[in-house]
Amino acid sequence: MQRLSRGWLVPGALLAAGLAAYPAITQQAAPLVVCLGGLAVALFVAGQALPLPSVLAWALGLLAIEYLAALQLRSAGLDLTAPAYAAAFFLCAELGWLGLEARRGGRLWSGRAVAVVSLAVAGAVLGALVLLLAAVQMAGGAFLTGVGVAAAVAVAACLAWLARRQP
Amino acid sequence: MNALPSSQGWATTTSGRLSAYLGLGGAGLLAGLLLSRPEPVILAVPLLLAAALGLVLARPPQLQVAVRLDRARALEGEEVELEVEVRALAPAARLELEVRLPTGLLELAGPPEQVSTLASGDVRLYRRRLLCSRWGGRLVGHVRIGVRDPLGFFTYREEARHELPLRVYPRPEALRRLVRPMETQAFAGNEVSRRKGDGVEFADIRPFVPGDRVRRINWRSSARRSGLYVNEMRPEQNADVVVFLDTFTDLRRSPEGDSSLELAVRAAAALVDLYMHRRDRVGLVGFGGTLRWLRPAMGERQLYRLVDALIDTEVVLSYAWKGLEVIPSRTLPPKSLVVALSPLLDDRTVGALFDLRGRGYDLAVVELTPLAFVLPGRRETEKLAHRLWDMQREALRGRFLEMGVAVTTWRPGEPLDASLAPVSTFRRASRLVRP
Repeated sequence: MQRLSRGWLVPGALLAAGLAAYPAITQQAAPLVVCLGGLAVALFVAGQALPLPSVLAWALGLLAIEYLAALQLRSAGLDLTAPAYAAAFFLCAELGWLGLEARRGGRLWSGRAVAVVSLAVAGAVLGALVLLLAAVQMAGGAFLTGVGVAAAVAVAACLAWLARRQP
Repeated sequence: MNALPSSQGWATTTSGRLSAYLGLGGAGLLAGLLLSRPEPVILAVPLLLAAALGLVLARPPQLQVAVRLDRARALEGEEVELEVEVRALAPAARLELEVRLPTGLLELAGPPEQVSTLASGDVRLYRRRLLCSRWGGRLVGHVRIGVRDPLGFFTYREEARHELPLRVYPRPEALRRLVRPMETQAFAGNEVSRRKGDGVEFADIRPFVPGDRVRRINWRSSARRSGLYVNEMRPEQNADVVVFLDTFTDLRRSPEGDSSLELAVRAAAALVDLYMHRRDRVGLVGFGGTLRWLRPAMGERQLYRLVDALIDTEVVLSYAWKGLEVIPSRTLPPKSLVVALSPLLDDRTVGALFDLRGRGYDLAVVELTPLAFVLPGRRETEKLAHRLWDMQREALRGRFLEMGVAVTTWRPGEPLDASLAPVSTFRRASRLVRP
């Protein structure tokens, strides 16, 4: 078991900066996209410093938007590094929340640390599977889109049901 | 030991992290559909996976909490050990324990870790050393338990109130000499009576009269004079002592420092203990917003009654005028010595003390000087006001002395023994006059 200190704020902020810089470097993103990344990092640091969980959530959202905008604006093909980016994105989010908990005197316990790392790895593996499926050449259409919408709704419904079960 | 299952009544708090992950994950899925790209879905996968796993694994904890104290009575300044036993009936990923202490108890530096992970069936003992910093009756065992789920999305909190009684007795002031009563009662005790009778203490010699015992004849004096002379002795008897505690006012200079009432209770405990050991009958009057009294009596049981009454002493605000008439007459037996402990600030106390003296009671006043608690201000007018107040108090003490009542001033930090010395000196030179 480890005591959380304010040292947790630094790795989170560094990882957020790395994630913000990644699209700018690899995708030669437009200045607007770079600004989005900068704003995301600023919000991330502000969310930790104040500390405000909602600001942190917005920072994460902006990071994701920056990454997706960089891909979309360049009409790039599949990004093979997306699973790794997703794992890093998840770790960044967890570090951000650990930083917030540390400000309130929270502590990290070994079980949670192991779970976070395992989830990041599992997320990357699942992401790679999704990427693999996306790479398969299939004829699109209303049916497949409908299946996708149904799957998304099902996932959301499952999560809502699980959340409702909690006291 | 006091145990109670903690499986019900958990207050659940959800981390903002869960809603953020669900929101971002849902947005990722939607964006994947709208943009027809897999990357938003890939970004959403770890977040949704964590949220789903957190929701599946989260269960309200099932714990049994038992609280024990190593003893139910302690002296002020002593340490007691509080033991909290937590038994997990289901796994608890992260358990935090906080012991809420009542005022007058301080937690000494304990082990830094108060967090632990419990598997089903695990028993964890948390030991806390508590310092009894102030006398009084306390209820200990208010424990706050916080349990997190394995992924930290939910926090379950519960407050368990076990309420173990702990009575902290006042630390007695070091005391060797006592205010000796002017008059004694009929029972045997340690006080040499002013009356003459059967005893071992020599009082006087007088001419022999028929009926005197031969063993009482003082042969040496009889040889020097023309007739027979006998020794007169003083019996050793006990006395009735009433400790009069002023509970109208309590003065405190700083939150950490002793208040006037705390000092008074400590002094009263010391007086009660010493008088009881001299086999005197001791009673108590708590004269304040709430009147409390104990009739004078002897014995171990009375000692415990008195000390228990003392530690329940508190100041209750009241504007009602109170005089001696509210005190039951048997609480103040005739010929009893009344030792008053008071800051002499409330007119009701001062009036009652004058009244006591007026009724012929043997009275001694220990003034817990308020000047020690109220310092003069910085400005000249404030200093002048403080001096005037000091002079007023001097005049009040003078009025007591004029009535033949010994008054001594006891300041915090001074030994009570030294403060009682002038009382004995004054009383040696004075004579009790009854109206």
